[in-house]
Amino acid sequence: MTALQIFLVITMALLVMAMILFFIKMIKGPTLWDRMLLLNMISAKILLFIILYAIYIESQVLLDIAISYGIISFLTMTLLSKFIMSGGREK
Amino acid sequence: MNVFTMIILGVAWFFIIFGVVSIFAFKNMYMRIMASATIDTVASFLVLLALIFISPSVGFVLRFIMLVGFMLITGPISTHVNIRSAYLSKVPLEQLRKGK
Repeated sequence: MTALQIFLVITMALLVMAMILFFIKMIKGPTLWDRMLLLNMISAKILLFIILYAIYIESQVLLDIAISYGIISFLTMTLLSKFIMSGGREK
Repeated sequence: MNVFTMIILGVAWFFIIFGVVSIFAFKNMYMRIMASATIDTVASFLVLLALIFISPSVGFVLRFIMLVGFMLITGPISTHVNIRSAYLSKVPLEQLRKGK
């Protein structure tokens, strides 16, 4: 392993630890909007993880997957917010 | 070029760690959303900027530029939509005014 690959692996390990802590907070979270925020943060971290892994194994296909993952996570956030603003399950 | 990548990745580690700390540190929901979303945007931008320097071909660079533009546009929009739905659903602001 070169020094650069060690840096990439350390970054990926930090992202995984951050995702675990976010998941714990997402289960504990006091309000609904905290959970939505943490869902957004976890999807951003997964996006970064996919990009770092794509550089690590040098494959371009994973970057295309990362772009489509970003689009899907953005649509998830906006549609969930719209659903909650319109009353959620109560209406 | 590898040295630039290592330095920027080392800066990005601190932003990732501060993003985790900011989630657990604040008591008010709006402060949590603001701090974590801004720090997260900077961390994503720094990691992508670091990886541009070591990309092996032109296709990687083009996709990275697309991803940077996409994240800088959609990150604040999704945060704004989230806060707007919280505010219109009447989440109280009193804790923010008292400074607790």
